[in-house]
Amino acid sequence: MFRQGDVLIVPVTEEAVPPHVAVAPKERRDARGRLVLALGEVTGHAHAVVGPGDLVREPGPFGPLLLHLPQGGRVVHEEHAAIALPKGWYRVIRQREYVPGSVRIVAD
Amino acid sequence: MTTTDIPGAAVEGTSFDDVRGWRACAAAAVPADRAAAEDGVRRAYRQAGLPDPERVVWAASPRAAVTLVRELADKGASVREAVRSTPWAGERQRLHTRLGAAGWAAHWAATGGLLWDTTQALVDRIRAGVLEELAGGDTGKEAAEVRLVLLDAVLGQHDAPWLAAFPTDRGPLEGLAEVSRHAGWWWPFARVAVVCERPVALHRDEAGRLDHGDGPALAYPDGFALHAWRGMPVPAGFLAELPTLTSDRIRSEENAELRRVMLEYYGYDRYLADSGARHVHRDETGTLWRIDLPDDEPVVMVEVLNSTPEPDGTRRTYWLRVPPATRTARAGVAWTFGLAAEVYAPERET
Repeated sequence: MFRQGDVLIVPVTEEAVPPHVAVAPKERRDARGRLVLALGEVTGHAHAVVGPGDLVREPGPFGPLLLHLPQGGRVVHEEHAAIALPKGWYRVIRQREYVPGSVRIVAD
Repeated sequence: MTTTDIPGAAVEGTSFDDVRGWRACAAAAVPADRAAAEDGVRRAYRQAGLPDPERVVWAASPRAAVTLVRELADKGASVREAVRSTPWAGERQRLHTRLGAAGWAAHWAATGGLLWDTTQALVDRIRAGVLEELAGGDTGKEAAEVRLVLLDAVLGQHDAPWLAAFPTDRGPLEGLAEVSRHAGWWWPFARVAVVCERPVALHRDEAGRLDHGDGPALAYPDGFALHAWRGMPVPAGFLAELPTLTSDRIRSEENAELRRVMLEYYGYDRYLADSGARHVHRDETGTLWRIDLPDDEPVVMVEVLNSTPEPDGTRRTYWLRVPPATRTARAGVAWTFGLAAEVYAPERET
């Protein structure tokens, strides 16, 4: 698994990916053609993947985001060093923190 | 050291002193010298083989200038290509031919390259600030129009990195350089030139990032301003609150980035002392702290370091609250990603 700031990218075996994901709608790329894994609310900085692949919003144990990189790719961010990702499937986990009575996502 | 050791440093009058001068030019926060700038504008037109503009109109900030450019009906076509791009490309080609690819690269590294990153970051932030104020963000039709005007600017003082790489005392860049030394961004049109004031305040940290805790990090005379803490854009009202922070207020801030800024301003040591925190556990993932509260569940927090250093070499520290039953730093960090401690094992972190 790989961590870039508040985003964790965890490999998933291809067999474990639910079959309907193959035909599920794909997340749209941003204006720069990137797959945005997480967007900072304050800074506008983004954790984003450059390269061919798909991002699928998926409820349940593999969601909220499943990332498919058939040829591998790179995850980039304005303030963090880029990380090369081998080809394969990943679940993307956004860091959260504890709030008494609820849980909130970390806004990087 | 002979000049042949540093191929870039001795080309046609560009020297360390010139780079230092251009560095100061890029960061200048004093009123424009309007007469000198207007003289430079007219010279740049003439050098491009164009008649003088009929009028030079001044704007108090890039925001005001963009509005003005969009409203001016009789300005004529943009002559930026002839006034700026063509003479630059010519000079670059001339030096490139003379120095060769490696020589040009070395020359750029010793001149404009030294100023490029910090100046470009500033330019990007100004563009984003103008887009935000005039179009409410960077998407949509309005934003597209504003962006086009912004991209059409000649950057005046912020063209310093490029100009540092070329001789400017005589020759085709003389007029452009003159404007750059005396004014901010400008827009050359066939009949009108719109020229901007320079900022009245500019505060940056050691790494060149916009940074100011007591007011705008960049401000123009008409009030157009950018607020930032160590490069991170922050809302203006947020800074006003920093001097009166309390540990309770910091704990209640919901945005982790803003809370980090509050903690940096307030001081981690002070915060931990004020809040009666004790250090519970430390491992390679971070440090676990616990603050016991009367009549409430304890606050348990993991202190996490960013793995990528900041430009100034420091590492950002984040404090994330985790469930009160957390016993180790690793378990706390793993929990923030919804994982068990024994499963959490990043092979690369940045």
